[in-house]
Amino acid sequence: MEAIINGVLMGGVYGLTALGLSLIFGVMKVINFAHGSHLMIMMYVEYCLIKSIGIDPYLSLLIVLPIAYTIGYFTQAILINPILKAEKDVREPLGVLLLTAGLWIFLNNFFLMLFGANFKSADTIYSNTVLKINKMMISKPLLYAFLASLITTYLLNWLLRKTKLGKAIRATGQDREAASLMGINVYKIYNIAFGIGIAALGVAGTILIPLFYVHPFVGDVFDMRAFVIVVLGGLGSIPGALLGGLLVGVIESLAGHFLNMTWAAAVIYMIFLLALFIKPSGMFGFEKEW
Amino acid sequence: MKDNSRGDINLVDPNYYLPLIALLILFCIPLVIKSVSWMQIMVLILWYACLTLSWNFVGGFAGVLPMGHAAYAGVGAYVSTLLFINYGLTPWVGMLIGGVISVLVALLIGVPTFKLHGAYYALASIAFVELLRMVTENTNKIFGIKINGARGLLIPLKGHSPFLFQFGEKIYYYYVILAMMLLIFFISYKIQKSKLGYYLVAGGEEQEAAESLGINVTKYKLIALSISAFFMAILGTFYAQLVLFIYPQGIMSLSLSFEIAFMAIIGGRGTLMGPILGAFTLVPLAELSRMYLSGSRFLGIHLMLYSSIIILVMLYMPKGLIGAFEKIYFFFTNKLFKKS
Repeated sequence: MEAIINGVLMGGVYGLTALGLSLIFGVMKVINFAHGSHLMIMMYVEYCLIKSIGIDPYLSLLIVLPIAYTIGYFTQAILINPILKAEKDVREPLGVLLLTAGLWIFLNNFFLMLFGANFKSADTIYSNTVLKINKMMISKPLLYAFLASLITTYLLNWLLRKTKLGKAIRATGQDREAASLMGINVYKIYNIAFGIGIAALGVAGTILIPLFYVHPFVGDVFDMRAFVIVVLGGLGSIPGALLGGLLVGVIESLAGHFLNMTWAAAVIYMIFLLALFIKPSGMFGFEKEW
Repeated sequence: MKDNSRGDINLVDPNYYLPLIALLILFCIPLVIKSVSWMQIMVLILWYACLTLSWNFVGGFAGVLPMGHAAYAGVGAYVSTLLFINYGLTPWVGMLIGGVISVLVALLIGVPTFKLHGAYYALASIAFVELLRMVTENTNKIFGIKINGARGLLIPLKGHSPFLFQFGEKIYYYYVILAMMLLIFFISYKIQKSKLGYYLVAGGEEQEAAESLGINVTKYKLIALSISAFFMAILGTFYAQLVLFIYPQGIMSLSLSFEIAFMAIIGGRGTLMGPILGAFTLVPLAELSRMYLSGSRFLGIHLMLYSSIIILVMLYMPKGLIGAFEKIYFFFTNKLFKKS
């Protein structure tokens, strides 16, 4: 029981890390391989903030979010848009795939050079607090993280469905040409969408700080899971990302409970390959979302 | 450039001067370089050139993006090494068995994955190599055969014994790998000029269009993958015999897979000389940076180099280094040979 609850809570966090990936794919049909690296950067930003000015981790969202958005906006504007423009007529832009894969490896090793290979953790006042319900121990920061991912998913969904900007983003995702004929500046929308996607990672980085160590390769832990989640939930689907996250969290937690942690990771990959073979468009039938 | 679609080799054609001169230099290098560490680097350069050429069958000609190709090298290295340790079988035979097993694995994984497009295929190949690595790392014994998990396998030293694929001096390894490179290059050349090559390119560029013309794209992709997996496995065995130690995090890792793919792409995927050019420019860069920058912080310095170069190449030279190289080369050869 405890394993399932922890799995659900952790799954929520995984879902949050996958949100941005899903959004970016939905709009640009590009898989951002550097997604985990962006998460890693956000965690380092958060870590440095806490270490230097001792800010409350949850309060620091106010600083982290604009930074995350800016990083995302300019990654897209400077690196990805030129290639998208060059490969305008290609349905699946492989050049962008390679670029983000390069960015992934580059950022990881660049931060390895900057910060060294030591595991760091920012001890915050929340770090080891526990909530006890009927002998079950539930980590408080994990609970907060779960709530934060529910809220973020809801807000992002609302943004996409109800606001004018959201409608422009979805229109661009559905048909780039038609959207640009309607007077939407497609490349600007791409920048904004990427910014929002990385901002969602900013939230994830913030709520992970009291829970997780910081390391140049920490992004890879979440990267592969985020890929699994978006494939399970349907690439481009926002609620799918959350559901996929919950599923992965529970499976991993159960596998860790009955086997051991290293095999749990292998089980995730097996599910991933199976999901790809059986139904690459997602398990929950959200394909028509965009 | 002259049309040469029939594949005749015309030695007077300036297209062939540079490769022939390069080949001559490659043959003579061991006569000049006597330092063991430099010979080791030369062997590694050729080894990487072979890997990128093998990758190029799938990643270049077939137009998909395999990001987990080290898996096949890992299969080859482990099969031949296990056969050698447990049954005393010479790796010369073991590598062929490893190659066949690797092809079977490739078919097993290729049949479902080739239905996937672009990013999905890349993701599946990453998941596959990671899964294989994790399973190997967590297996100590299987059917009574010791695999040793993450600690890896040490290949018993037998001294200089060509029959067991172990040599006392690097020069032997050098000529073995040079011969392998020529063989793989020759097969690449033949495939590029054959029907298979055209089918692959057609299927890679416009799968639906090619299929509507009656080309069984998946079948040809599987053939390309099989050839690729076979050579990857043989190269895995070669590495095991060269270093005499294999472990999952090295020979079947994601980072080796990325190195291979990056080199081939930086050089120019889908071309004959591109992957070789990629290996010959990037491996020395990596080795030099490793020589001068040491310490745990700089462990990933070569990957950082590759990845920053690949970002620049994707932005400014989408066809890879070979495109720029060819332009310069033909500019000079045309000037030189116009009058004669």
